[in-house]
Amino acid sequence: MTSHFGMMVVFALFVSTVFATLMRDQPREQLLFGARLLVGFVGAGVLIGWLLYPLPL
Amino acid sequence: MRATTADRTQPAAIYLICAAAWVVPGLGHLLQGRRQKGIIFLVALTLMFVYGLWLEGRLFPFQISEPLVALAFIADLGIGLPYFIAKSIGVGAGRVVAITYEYGNAFVIVAGLLNMLVVLDAFDIAKGRK
Repeated sequence: MTSHFGMMVVFALFVSTVFATLMRDQPREQLLFGARLLVGFVGAGVLIGWLLYPLPL
Repeated sequence: MRATTADRTQPAAIYLICAAAWVVPGLGHLLQGRRQKGIIFLVALTLMFVYGLWLEGRLFPFQISEPLVALAFIADLGIGLPYFIAKSIGVGAGRVVAITYEYGNAFVIVAGLLNMLVVLDAFDIAKGRK
């Protein structure tokens, strides 16, 4: 998976997995917190991407 | 159970646990009976590091004349043994013209930084703070 979006999702998946495991003790809590982090990371990436879209390079 | 773990842990053992946690991602947690967390760290951080190398990321050298390169080296080193294995088998040269080069660097650097956080977590557990 080497598309820009794909790599962002994989990166977010790794980071949210580690953060959720660090910050929560119960597997169910880890899963819920990790899912929220993943959605937040990817959503923020897409949102910031669109906000930057009209700006010239 | 957590207090018992802290009571058992001698000061010298705490630093040994931290060293083990640095050398092998997740080993600090495994040694303290946190099997699930240890296995997740081992798999996730090692995969992240390997994925970064597959994306043609670079293992940075220690260059004091280039402060950002030196900082990247310290972050790369954070992953522990996988760094030395990758160096010894000759991967991590990095191909600057590859479209995935910067992404690969981000994966490799962040894997090292996340392992530093994991080492701190293992230290907190050994101290009985968690």
